[in-house]
Amino acid sequence: MELRQRYEEDLTLVRGVLGWSALLALLAFLALLPALAPGYFLYTASLVAVHVVIAVGLNLLVGYTGQISLGHAGFVAVGAYAAGVLATRLHVPWPGAMLGGGIAAAFFGFLVGIPALRLTGPYLTIATLGFGIAVNQVLTNWEQLSGGRTGLFLPKLAIAGVRLRDHHIYYLFAGLAAALVWIATNLVRSHVGRAFVAIRDSDIAAEVMGVNLTVYKTLAFAVSAFYAGIGGAMLAYLLGYLEPQLFTLFESIYYFSMIVIGGLGTIPGSILGAILLTILPQQLAGLKQYLPLVYGATIVLVMAVEPLGIYGRWLRIKLWFKTWPF
Amino acid sequence: MRLARIGVILSLLVLAATATVAQPQERGVTDTEIVIGSSQPLSGPAAFWGQGVGGGMDAYLKVINDQGGINGRKIRLILRDDGYLPPRAVANVRELVERERVFAIVSLIGSANTFAVRDYVIENQLLWITPTADANMWAGFKDKKYLFVAYPGYVDEGRILTVYGARQMGAKSVAVFYQNDLYGQKGLVGVKRGVAEARIKLATAVSYEVTDRDVSAHALKLRQSGADTVILYALPTAGALIVREMAKIGYTPKLLSSFTLADPIMFQLAGEAWNGVTLTAFFPVPGTDAKVDAMLETLIKTNPQLRASPFNALAGVAFLEPFVEALRRTGPNVTKDGVVRAFESLRNWDGEVIRGVTFGANRRQGINRIYIVRSEGGQYKKLTDWIEYPVGF
Amino acid sequence: MVQDMALLVQYVVVGLAVGSLYALVALGIVLLYRTSRILNFAHGDLATFGTFIAFALLTAWRWPFAAASLGSLLTTAVVGAAFFFLVIRPAKESTLLGKIVITLGLALVLQGATVILWGTGTKILPFPLSDIKVYRLGQVVVSQISVGSFAVGLALMGALYVLVQHTRVGLAMRAVSQDTVAAQVLGIPVKQIFALTWGLASALGAAAGILLAPATLLDPYMMLDPFLKGFAAAVLGGIDSMPGAAVGGLLLGVLEALFGGYVSVKFKTTLAFLIIIAVLVVRPEGLLGREYKRRV
Repeated sequence: MELRQRYEEDLTLVRGVLGWSALLALLAFLALLPALAPGYFLYTASLVAVHVVIAVGLNLLVGYTGQISLGHAGFVAVGAYAAGVLATRLHVPWPGAMLGGGIAAAFFGFLVGIPALRLTGPYLTIATLGFGIAVNQVLTNWEQLSGGRTGLFLPKLAIAGVRLRDHHIYYLFAGLAAALVWIATNLVRSHVGRAFVAIRDSDIAAEVMGVNLTVYKTLAFAVSAFYAGIGGAMLAYLLGYLEPQLFTLFESIYYFSMIVIGGLGTIPGSILGAILLTILPQQLAGLKQYLPLVYGATIVLVMAVEPLGIYGRWLRIKLWFKTWPF
Repeated sequence: MRLARIGVILSLLVLAATATVAQPQERGVTDTEIVIGSSQPLSGPAAFWGQGVGGGMDAYLKVINDQGGINGRKIRLILRDDGYLPPRAVANVRELVERERVFAIVSLIGSANTFAVRDYVIENQLLWITPTADANMWAGFKDKKYLFVAYPGYVDEGRILTVYGARQMGAKSVAVFYQNDLYGQKGLVGVKRGVAEARIKLATAVSYEVTDRDVSAHALKLRQSGADTVILYALPTAGALIVREMAKIGYTPKLLSSFTLADPIMFQLAGEAWNGVTLTAFFPVPGTDAKVDAMLETLIKTNPQLRASPFNALAGVAFLEPFVEALRRTGPNVTKDGVVRAFESLRNWDGEVIRGVTFGANRRQGINRIYIVRSEGGQYKKLTDWIEYPVGF
Repeated sequence: MVQDMALLVQYVVVGLAVGSLYALVALGIVLLYRTSRILNFAHGDLATFGTFIAFALLTAWRWPFAAASLGSLLTTAVVGAAFFFLVIRPAKESTLLGKIVITLGLALVLQGATVILWGTGTKILPFPLSDIKVYRLGQVVVSQISVGSFAVGLALMGALYVLVQHTRVGLAMRAVSQDTVAAQVLGIPVKQIFALTWGLASALGAAAGILLAPATLLDPYMMLDPFLKGFAAAVLGGIDSMPGAAVGGLLLGVLEALFGGYVSVKFKTTLAFLIIIAVLVVRPEGLLGREYKRRV
């Protein structure tokens, strides 16, 4: 049992020798991945980074604030297409385009958050569902903006005119994902995070205690959408090509299941879920026919057996060890 | 302590930045086999096309391999399913190139899909045989060295179909039902050109999305336009649905369609409404040519399921035939450039299924002719001889 | 002038025909939601599965149409009830969110099973009514199949109404939906009622699927769009009101047809979802629903 002697020790993210060694080992693994893994795997790894960003953002909204959102692919689409349009029509370089994507998505998140103040439970679910599908429909039909079914091609990523190769893209994305995860971890441990959790547990009690529901609910939507937007912009640059069918109800369900299977309301859970649900379909690519079946069965099993998700199970295991032999 | 941590992280970053990736070598060819790949819609709304073409290609290669292969090498085809979705096609092609290391990409159904993977394939200088998409998209495109297309362009086809309808069938006012992506849009361009050439009227153009299941409003719009002829640029399901919806509201115009709807499944899906439809074809259809019928027999013997999609299976063969012939002509030393030279030596070459393929140092459009057929009682009747269109690239 | 009137009536007729099927789908969703407060995202795939069972019975086993439909409805009901017993009940500790995710998982499992059993190819469901035969009322044309589906849809809705409002079982269902614990205390077998509700909702979905199959052609993804429209209809009418579902479905069908005819065919589907959003912003409980009151 570690005894804490100073306030700073309570605040630190990484504790003790064990914590730092684990972190460094992880960083070393991530840094050396290109040398260890075949080229194709780097593409998957970059995709994992994108999904981590989206999942963490979604978990902030659903897991921490308790607002059910089945239309998250809509925010991702807004971010992706905003970045795409900025890059192709206005020739904004990629850092600006990605940031622009995030901000555009955050703006839409704020807009969706406003009616969400009045809606609860199933109504919010349906409203976000409707939003996600409406975004898809508008993108499909508004050809001037999005290129419709023909799609939108993005310029390649480059720094100072030098084209980025696969492993550079991987480092860039991994770095971005790490930074955003770090921000999210700090966010949930701050008063903002505590307000989110209070709203989830009982929003009327939270309001009574002085948590401004309007500010924090819309903030939750905006922050979550910002993450989705950045993730969408990253996805756009990774694929190099955008098409409305990339952002359907199925994708919303996909992101949703990432956080549910990984662990609602936990950052490590989102990361685990993102990693698992990105790599699983790739590895099962051979069983193309059986993919939905296996995937669906996994979801059902995990939810029935361990509602807290995989990370929840890990926490229980840790707890069991900690309290052993009782 | 802090300094040490910073030092470790910095050195890791330096190490990372200098890491290089191994360069790929000559790929896809060993002493015993040549590996080719394709991304097809094996599931989803275009599954009918993908299963037919993919099955046909598979069966044809099996026949060739059973006869000993080409110059002692068997050909192995890796099929990936993209569900007719462009982003999945992109992912599949990346996988085929980087993970499976194929020698060439064959076919790839879907104009939108082809458009999505186009840049990647050309950049990586891959041999691409007959992307199964509108051929007109390649006109004016640079870097076509490794691209060989033996497939009609929908713009040319649409024009020829419309002109035939006007001149031989007395159509005065034409409406188009088209898929809202590159495939349908190109067909519409062709029809517009045909309408201008034949000096008739284009009454309306109604588009649908691949995911649309309810086309009753589209049928009503078509009827409202008062057109006496409707031209279809659609998927089998959508084509069948619109034909049935039109019949439901008592609207029976003359029907013209691209060869993409030539499979007999349309009779099952659309019922009697599909009788009398006029279509194009780019190789002799079953029932009109002995060699084609013989090939169909062989395919069905190899894979009985292909009986349900004879046209698509034969199309798969048509896509592969020029490639197989080019491999034959390249001889035992197979390299990309060798195959390119072999392709360029094809002059008005006839395969079992595909006819009149010509390539050259500056010519990558293998065929430039189609002809018209009509469906009657489940069979096809040949209506015209080969109609040529100008070579675009 | 008469032309325009006739066109308007034509659109309305087409809209009513397809709207009655949306209403059927919506009823299945609403029935389940009222009783168990679960939004069943597997409804569409259950319906598809049922329709494929009907297809198999009709083509492979050559049963007559009535028997095959009944067989399909019964099988789907059993699948729905089994799902309740095997998955939903044991998972009762998971939150509402968790239950929704479980239904999403079930949707994928059913989709996968349908593809494995019957492949992805499009099939035709042999239907006794023809869509080529049409009836003409002046300028307005209506196909035999539209009339038939509309009639059957109405009949099913009527039967459901009678069941829920005028039978003891229906009374029990209404009691359970109002307050589960109180119903238990009063001796109502809540488990059986839940299973019955799941089965009934699934059977309604299968019926909608069979009636839709001639219009949409049969393939594993056929119910995706109708399911979402049914959802929109349920929201429009009030997600906890069964008459609301019926009204919502018919209304949505007509609005869609009119919009598609007079404004734009392309944005027809967008309309459905804009309606959802508009309804939820202005009046979340829908046209005929009751306000959602939360216990503090």
